[in-house]
Amino acid sequence: MCASETSDARRLASYIPSTIGPWLSEADQSFDAETVFDYIDGAGEVYRSYNMRLLIARRFQKDGRPDIVVDAFDMGASADAFGVFTHDLDGEDAGIGQGSTYKAGLLSFWKDRYFLSVYAEEETTETRAAVLDLGRQIAEAIPGRGEPPALLKLLPVDGLEARTTRFFHTASVLNYHYFVADANILLLGPETDAVLAAYGGKEDRSHMLVVSYGGVAGAGRAAESFRREYMPDAGGNPAVRTENGRWTAARAAGRYCAVVFDAISAEAAVARLEAVERSIASARGPSP
Amino acid sequence: MSRRPITRRDFLKVAAAAPLAGAMIPALHGAAPASADKVRVVLVRDPSPLGTGGAPPAEVVQKMLDDGVRALLGETDVVKAWKSLIRPDDVVGIKTNAWRYIPTTAEVEQAIRRRVMDAGVGEDRIAIDDRGVLRNPVFQKATALVNARPMRSHHWSGVGSLIKNYIMFTPQPAAWHGDTCADLAKIWDLPIVKGKTRLNVLVMFTPLFHGVGPHHYAKEYTWEYKGLIISRDPVAADATGLRILQAKRKEHFGDDSPLQMTPHHIQLADTRHHLGVSDPGRIELVKLGWDEGVLI
Repeated sequence: MCASETSDARRLASYIPSTIGPWLSEADQSFDAETVFDYIDGAGEVYRSYNMRLLIARRFQKDGRPDIVVDAFDMGASADAFGVFTHDLDGEDAGIGQGSTYKAGLLSFWKDRYFLSVYAEEETTETRAAVLDLGRQIAEAIPGRGEPPALLKLLPVDGLEARTTRFFHTASVLNYHYFVADANILLLGPETDAVLAAYGGKEDRSHMLVVSYGGVAGAGRAAESFRREYMPDAGGNPAVRTENGRWTAARAAGRYCAVVFDAISAEAAVARLEAVERSIASARGPSP
Repeated sequence: MSRRPITRRDFLKVAAAAPLAGAMIPALHGAAPASADKVRVVLVRDPSPLGTGGAPPAEVVQKMLDDGVRALLGETDVVKAWKSLIRPDDVVGIKTNAWRYIPTTAEVEQAIRRRVMDAGVGEDRIAIDDRGVLRNPVFQKATALVNARPMRSHHWSGVGSLIKNYIMFTPQPAAWHGDTCADLAKIWDLPIVKGKTRLNVLVMFTPLFHGVGPHHYAKEYTWEYKGLIISRDPVAADATGLRILQAKRKEHFGDDSPLQMTPHHIQLADTRHHLGVSDPGRIELVKLGWDEGVLI
């Protein structure tokens, strides 16, 4: 570990209390992107896909009570801290950090460039309170705040379902949230940023995917690849009716590619793409 | 020429027949060539209460294993059955799984060990290990392996499977994570394991059907299935365990919840690597014991 990493590890560890109620902490374990598998097996790939830099794991023990484990990730950038937080949004908002969720003894939240998981190995009334208290203390100790990914601003607001927005980079994570294809037909990778969100509610749900590529050419290739593999029957039409009676549409706009899945009609699909295009144009500002 | 990708639309076409994505992948890729011979898989269950370690009492586990092996091999005498698997001069590695939350369990390990000894193998030529197999002198010299691990949903490979259990035989396990562990079956061609596996035991006492958080575990997503799946074919055993996990997910979440990562390494172990059979149509499933909540 180099000097700056040591410094980062010390700083991150300093945000975590050494005790929580009657629980006392064990010695910290520290992992980087190469050694994370020693700690969390293949699940480490998820954190690696979000460019994790450092993980500090601290276990709290008290005889006769379930262990509580804090996993504190330094993701290097607030966008990736936000992104890895959105990987699992199941649960209720705990009002901790810059976004949080709690379910079944597991509290997850993000703040600044950090993602935190606080987990009780068995949920009891006491461990639930301890987990939430621990999370609040850690969040308060982290002094900074981070910006969510700018890409989120391109999502149309109308009909957007709360707590369904996911930010990621790779095709594997896209498929985790919404299976598209068993091959990387949208040409996603570590260098691409992507945002996926649900619209309309459970009975009328559609999905919107917006991907940012390195340039216009990359976005064009991705849109072409997607149309060729996913909607070969579209012909010259902007949208195609899929086997569930819903509509899918895709197009490139600048360095972005946007895809709408499961819209109620072709017009609805195209309208949503146009809304994204307006957001892109607005983000660019007026033409010179 | 590369094959056409399988897309969500392919799943939609066959959704009525097989609503879970993971289950559909084998069918969509095309079934393995028809064969008159089916691969036998035994599912044995017992309703006895589980102990604190998550296993039934040792004597119950021994009986489950014995019943399963006898049914698998069509042999009434359990020692004779084991002698058809293991020679007295074998050096035997029992590849276990030590995951903190759902391990193989000592009860299963010791039940296997006892029968390996009954087959004539001396205690000094048997080892039980997981993460240390590459450094373990018995595993280094092993002529026979018994593969035993629990099935659970897995954050990257879809499920933790018998196929995946051999990843610790590789010096760099992470090197096998590509395409969400698609080619794990290739590990089975490495000299340290190739052709050595005599039996596979997929532990289904408290399977994990959904995972959360960095450790991909929450007790509420386990259930007491109280089963063992036993086969000589790791792919067939995994494919059977996967059906149970998917059935449990359907029961718990409803129709719209495929496994978070597609466990395609099981299907590819069949169609790409020819390690075994993943198509349920080519698996003869023998069910023994407790039938309540069997799910398949």
